Amino acid sequence: MRSEAKLKGLLKEVIDLKAALDEHAIVAITDPQGKITYVNDKFCAISKYSREELLGQDHRLINSGFHPAEFIRDLWTTIAGGKVWHGEIMNRAKDGSFYWVDTTIVPFLNEQGKPRQYVAIRADITERKRAEEAVARLAAIVESSDDAIIGKDLQGIVTSWNAGAEKEFGYTASEMIGHSITRLIPPERRDEEIKTLDQIRCGESVGHFETVRVGKDGKALDVSVAISAIRDRSGKIVGASKVVRDMTEKRRAEEALRQLNANLEQRVVERTIQLEAANKDLESFSYSVSHDLRAPLRAISGFSRIVREDHSAALDADGVRYLGLVEKSALQMGQLIDDLLTFSRTGRQALTVQTVNTAELVSACLTDLQEMREHRHVTITVGALPDCEADASLLRQVWLNLLANALKYTRKRDQAVITIGSQREGDTDSYFVQDNGAGFEMKYADKLFGVFQRLHLSDDYEGTGVGLALVQRIVQRHGGRVWAEANLNLGATFHFTLTGGRDD
Amino acid sequence: MIDSGEIEILLVEDNPTDLELALRVFKKHRIANRIEVARDGVEALDFLFGEGAHASRGTVVIPKVILLDLKLPKVGGIEVLRRIKGDPRTRAIPIVVLTSSREEKDLLESYQLGVNSYIVKPVDFDQFSECLRDIGMYWLLSNTPPKIHAPQ
Repeated sequence: MRSEAKLKGLLKEVIDLKAALDEHAIVAITDPQGKITYVNDKFCAISKYSREELLGQDHRLINSGFHPAEFIRDLWTTIAGGKVWHGEIMNRAKDGSFYWVDTTIVPFLNEQGKPRQYVAIRADITERKRAEEAVARLAAIVESSDDAIIGKDLQGIVTSWNAGAEKEFGYTASEMIGHSITRLIPPERRDEEIKTLDQIRCGESVGHFETVRVGKDGKALDVSVAISAIRDRSGKIVGASKVVRDMTEKRRAEEALRQLNANLEQRVVERTIQLEAANKDLESFSYSVSHDLRAPLRAISGFSRIVREDHSAALDADGVRYLGLVEKSALQMGQLIDDLLTFSRTGRQALTVQTVNTAELVSACLTDLQEMREHRHVTITVGALPDCEADASLLRQVWLNLLANALKYTRKRDQAVITIGSQREGDTDSYFVQDNGAGFEMKYADKLFGVFQRLHLSDDYEGTGVGLALVQRIVQRHGGRVWAEANLNLGATFHFTLTGGRDD
Repeated sequence: MIDSGEIEILLVEDNPTDLELALRVFKKHRIANRIEVARDGVEALDFLFGEGAHASRGTVVIPKVILLDLKLPKVGGIEVLRRIKGDPRTRAIPIVVLTSSREEKDLLESYQLGVNSYIVKPVDFDQFSECLRDIGMYWLLSNTPPKIHAPQ
């Protein structure tokens, strides 16, 4: 009876202890094969499996797959050998979420010394693991930064030193931690450190400022520094973290850029001078052309005329005719010179851009060209012509030339049809003049706008080949472009814009 | 004493063919009998002011009109114009620039210096002779010149 009472007492004690254990820990018991024979409520709660689902299963049910095979093998070798295993395990709950448990597995042995059952006592450490991971991640960020990130206490003693700091200043962490940060500060800037430490003590953070620091090799570094206070859990300021960025490279790049700009400006100045000189040359050239080439032409035409008038008796009919051709050619050359000078002047003349009423301008040009329409059937249709920004007198030259061309090259048509209008593409207006005249073959289109280039015989259509070159030059000087579409004997359309052509 | 009325036209022209053509036109249209020709700027100024080769004369000559080319050897036309219009004794003489140059710069400068007319010589001989005839008729017949009493 006494022993029974004693046994009862012991049993009660065991039950109490188990109750206390169940309150604190996650408990499971397995047989020697690892089959679960017992789980407590906490096991069910953390694994999210019911007791029925767990009993008879082994621990593979909650295996997370996180641990390598050796880890599991080591666990089993230990406990099968009758030894206690202790470690941290990550498991997977029924809903797929992971949890960490600090685990102690105790093997209980039979008379033969073989494990009879294993009792596993676990504690949930998931929160702690998460916090550790977060810290590790932050540490990795600090470590991988190119900037020097340095921790120091309020006396200026270095408490942490990342790889960026090592790279920037040349000191290793062990060389710096525990030493004063003043090592990095040139003597004449020591006050800076005292001041910033004072500010940190008052809880102020020190925003980016640029200064100079000294590396291990004694070289001065241009740096940008930001400092903020480090507080402990209670909010007390215990130190400062510094982020120091090496600006030496940036400085060098800035300096290089400045140099480059200066060179560029110098080159622009030189080119401008060269250009002005070239323009001056061109001016004196065209002055000579204008003056010196005309005089002999006047002599050629004048004396041919005088010979024909006063000395025709000494010549036969051919002689008189040839002299007429000499005179005519001289006049033609005079015209060429005049056109060429106009062309060259147009290139140099400054633009006076203003808003031009295109419709009015075109109508005035058509009036000026009235003479070319006399005794002919010409149908002219004028569509919408939006205003534009241009040099009015130069633009007038463009329209005059294009319209005169349309009239000229439709001369052999019984019914000449000329259409004038505009098209809008994006925010650019293009204007066009279309005719049903002689046209040209598109394969010669690239010659169209060259100086003295002609696609027709002057016997058929007179001209010097400067008109379209002039049109192109004026249009280009406005930043626009001019192009043509045509069919031989069917007509031509000339388009131009006054903007959006600078890339051409 | 000013030598007035003696010379009708002072023709300043270096180009021999232009000169010959011009003289032919004047002769043909019987415009002027007394034409003095200067072949460069220096000759023109010496003749007018009685200097250099004309120093023995010692007087200023006042033609009815001066026909002045701009591109001249030694002293250019613009300079000749400046000297004539800048001298009170000769300032009133009508000057017609007769040149091949159509340059804006020349035009502007000539008018600023007080030129009375600016003619671009046509290449076409018909136009050229018409032009010279008109100039002669206008300045010698239609136009009334001022009576000039310049101090010696």
